[in-house]
Amino acid sequence: MSVHAIAGLAALNLLLLAVGAGILFGLRGWASWGELLCFSGVAYMLGVAATGVVWVLDVAVGIPFGLPAILGTAAALISCASLIGYGKGHRLPPCRLERPRVPRLSLVGGVFAAATIVYLEGAFRAARLAGLYEFDAWAFWVPKAKAIYYFGGFDEQFFRELINQSYPPLVPLLEAAAFHFMGSPDVVTLHVQFWFLFVGFIAAVVGLLSRRVQPIFVWPPLVLMLVTPQVVGHLYQPTADFLLDELFVIAALFIALWLIERNDWQLVAAGLVLAAAMLTKREGYAFAASVVVAALVVTTRERRAVWPRLIAVGVVAAAATLPWRVLLALRHLGGGGPEAGGTGLFANLGRAWPSLRLALTTLFDYDIWLLVAPLLVVAILAAFAAGGRTLPLYASLIGIFAVAAFTYSTWAFPSLGISTNPALNPIIRLTGQLVLLTSALAPLLLARAWQKGSLESEET
Amino acid sequence: MNQIARAGVVLCIALAVVLGAVYLVRALSDFGDAASNNSSLSFSDREVAGGNGIVADQQAVYEAQGIIPRNARYRVVTGSLPKNATSLTLPFIESWYRYFLMPRRTAADARWIICYGCDVSKLGGAYVIAWQDDQGISIGRLQ
Repeated sequence: MSVHAIAGLAALNLLLLAVGAGILFGLRGWASWGELLCFSGVAYMLGVAATGVVWVLDVAVGIPFGLPAILGTAAALISCASLIGYGKGHRLPPCRLERPRVPRLSLVGGVFAAATIVYLEGAFRAARLAGLYEFDAWAFWVPKAKAIYYFGGFDEQFFRELINQSYPPLVPLLEAAAFHFMGSPDVVTLHVQFWFLFVGFIAAVVGLLSRRVQPIFVWPPLVLMLVTPQVVGHLYQPTADFLLDELFVIAALFIALWLIERNDWQLVAAGLVLAAAMLTKREGYAFAASVVVAALVVTTRERRAVWPRLIAVGVVAAAATLPWRVLLALRHLGGGGPEAGGTGLFANLGRAWPSLRLALTTLFDYDIWLLVAPLLVVAILAAFAAGGRTLPLYASLIGIFAVAAFTYSTWAFPSLGISTNPALNPIIRLTGQLVLLTSALAPLLLARAWQKGSLESEET
Repeated sequence: MNQIARAGVVLCIALAVVLGAVYLVRALSDFGDAASNNSSLSFSDREVAGGNGIVADQQAVYEAQGIIPRNARYRVVTGSLPKNATSLTLPFIESWYRYFLMPRRTAADARWIICYGCDVSKLGGAYVIAWQDDQGISIGRLQ
């Protein structure tokens, strides 16, 4: 709860940013320091994803998790990515003592950016002294992090005694790293780490979109998402839900941009972020599959050229979770499958319709998510009406798959109540996936809808 | 169709701007309230946080932290509920202490005991109390 702890967190997040910048250099490089500034959010999210994935690998193979491992992993990632970047011909722009060239901020962009900064300042003040009230946080997310912090790894006893043993460990590792940088397991200041993640997510969305989409399309959907009651009340909770959504949305946005621009670095980045999403929560597998399958469907006409690359992204990302799955199997810990998966769904057929209804009513609940979901629906329809195909179909498919996944999450777990009560059913947290996604895809859809005529060629 | 598409775009942007403006004010107010509430809490209220609805006596958790050595094993034994217990005390007291007292480990045969109204005659030895309150919570060690 001190300035020292906050400074420690700032240092950790600068380290993640440095790793991400290294990876960005390896993937695409940057033409100017201003461009790197614009992509700083993207770099940060790539840094979170890459370090998270490698930390899981480190600890799964028995490397003690402490400051040497954290710093060593960062150094190794930066070195490898830099070598790859140099090998691909990327070079750092000259360092001159002049103001970096950044895109001019429009009036609209300036007003919304200022509002967002004020919002984030308010969120920081709320997060800085927040207590650990959320059940999931004190029951297993943070205890796992404390166990990693104290014992340097996935301690057999604690990981067996705590509930939800099979939940992937990226968030506990990130929290344990935060404890190391803060100097103690300060569970109050820990909330600020999740504020940093949220800031990085917003910066990444704006950074990825601002060069392609006009500010009037970028900012309003983003701000609408920010002010939804659920986001306001939970964005800094030290659980995995928001980080999963943030990683998923960045990956989905990378793939959406790849569908338009076909820059292969976007696909590699998407794979990296999807791997991190799958190591953040089990739902990450379903979310990642939904993005990849949606991209496969919209590229059916070019399947020979495109599908191998898309499938490779999904397979490589899933393969990154294998060390964790092997560790679970070696320790005979539950894989965390659904209570009534497979044929169990037929035994619980009576839950199908109520589960679907719950998913839809939650997603469209004004008191939880305002009008974010309707905005996504209208944006998709408008993009279709304007002659768009690739983007609106991609967004529609992700939406449909997401609703199917939300339905399944209640249907396949008969112990969950048909309720939006967070103590009985996590449906509100799950639906956040589509709400955060709206802030990233709606700007592209709206910009597409604003264009005149059939512009398929521009999409591809 | 282009007119319809553009109407849809205008509708989306207008809705997002109006709702964003209205709810931004509310969000800032909510953040301010949360920050004020958090800062008005004592250090211990903030640190124990969710445990305040479980542990019945906040002092007990700090006493346990002070008395039980960091490398020792302990167990939480429950019996009749303490006076200030809630409906959450019995189901969650053990898991909350596990979270809070880490790196101390739990063990079924541990000599260190956190007793929540437990029957000391069934603990399996002479129970030496190191701390107790007037609600029936005690911390001690089996000889």
